Amino acid sequence: MSVEKPSVSQELWTDFFAGSRLACARLISVVENSPQAIPEVLDRIIPRQKGGIRVGVTGPPGVGKSTVTAALARRAVQAGRKVGVLAVDPTSPFSGGAFLGDRVRMQRLSDDHQVFIRSMASREGHGGLSPATPYAADVLDAFGLDRIFIETVGVGQSELDVMSSADLVVLVLQPGTGDVIQALKAGIIEAADLFLVNKSDLQGTETLLDSLRFLMEIGGGPRRKSLPPVIQASALQDRGLDEAFAEIERLVSGLVASGLFLEKRRARLESEVRAAIGRELWDKYAALTNAGEVIPAVVGRLLERRRSPYPYIREAVSRVRILIDEERGPREEPQ
Amino acid sequence: MTDRRIKVIIAKPGLDGHDRGAKVVARALVEAGMEVVYLGLQQSPESIVRAAVDEDADVIGLSILSGAHMTNFRRVKELMEASGLGDRLLTGGGIIPTRDQEKLRELGIDKVFGPGDDLQGIVDYIRERAGRPSKG
Ligand SMILES: Nc1nc2c(ncn2[C@@H]2O[C@H](COP(=O)(O)OP(=O)(O)OP(=O)(O)O)[C@@H](O)[C@H]2O)c(=O)[nH]1
Ligand SMILES: [Mg+2]
Repeated sequence: MSVEKPSVSQELWTDFFAGSRLACARLISVVENSPQAIPEVLDRIIPRQKGGIRVGVTGPPGVGKSTVTAALARRAVQAGRKVGVLAVDPTSPFSGGAFLGDRVRMQRLSDDHQVFIRSMASREGHGGLSPATPYAADVLDAFGLDRIFIETVGVGQSELDVMSSADLVVLVLQPGTGDVIQALKAGIIEAADLFLVNKSDLQGTETLLDSLRFLMEIGGGPRRKSLPPVIQASALQDRGLDEAFAEIERLVSGLVASGLFLEKRRARLESEVRAAIGRELWDKYAALTNAGEVIPAVVGRLLERRRSPYPYIREAVSRVRILIDEERGPREEPQ
Repeated sequence: MTDRRIKVIIAKPGLDGHDRGAKVVARALVEAGMEVVYLGLQQSPESIVRAAVDEDADVIGLSILSGAHMTNFRRVKELMEASGLGDRLLTGGGIIPTRDQEKLRELGIDKVFGPGDDLQGIVDYIRERAGRPSKG
């Protein structure tokens, strides 16, 4: 790596902190396109954050996540919140491109309320978000937004337990998706803070509600004190969304009052710190050794001889200290 | 190490209700590895440019079949300049007579595409022109 030149110009920072919408958008592009700039960006923005609440909206493809997100966000604006939306759509594994269509359902939110809406391609992300989505939320928080809605990719049931980066998760379902319910694991009950049965103008709503109730009775699990609320809505007819929004606000107040909000954030930050140290150490190790070439060769031999990789790993780890001592050389210890 | 993919806004200003062409082009750009934000029908120039700001788009592509291309392109271009997007590419397609294409060029819209143009030509043009030195 060459000598680090800041990826974000002073001019961009000045504009961002002066409230320029384009500067905010450009900063999101920085975290999206230049992962190596993320530490630099976080250094500057985290002191400016005010703890904006992140509401994740997830669910299978086509259930109405975008329509629901827009409806909830509109109510948040009307309640006096400063609102932003991040909407993630899938990256094509073949081309690397993405068709980002969520805005089509959010037009009024943008036109009538000037809400900041950013579409993001999922790129290499898992579980319905892109790797940069949590950082984009950090940017919006530092920009002064206090309700940040995050719409995930329409995900299959196996991925529904994600979104650890949201403070609160709304799971959207629609009638006729009994198979999804069948496959919902008990973990989902714990991951979702609110079940929103959308499209209740369609047939099959009662069946869906019944299976949800059943699922909760059997799968609520001991870890959760109360079961998540189930709200029946139709985003098309604008029904049930006042209730859903009120429920979200109630849950948010509860999270904050009980300290769970902070606890969740603490857990998230801890794992982030650990992961970042791991990454930095690896980068350092890779730069100081020829691990990039050695590992494939070692693995090749291990495969042939069917041996555990751990003797090699132990040796590699024991070399780290020596290498770092050598690199530090006569320089002074940091304070 | 940057991973910047060209981001394109595709919008249909005005009142005509056909977006098949716009969707075909959007699809082709996605297949060429671009990230395409599709806005849908009946967009005002104001909403198009607001979206382009939030999305930090490299390119705005307008699909106009209604005949109102001059007004729409002119207005979008003005709003882009006013919003700090003067360095982004504005292009589009529709049925646009040659003499209007000339006028568009005077506005700084170098190239627009018509029903006869092939998709690869559009992809190539955007690839070539979308680069922006300032982008993170
Ligand atoms: N009947 C009915 N249709 C709805 C309702 N809400 C949304 N829709 C329609 O469902 C379709 C999908 O809505 P979206 O909001 O785009 O769904 P989504 O979950 O965001 O879709 P993806 O992001 O592609 O996964 C659209 O045609 C909506 O108009 C509803 O309450 N009732
Ligand atoms: Mg959507």
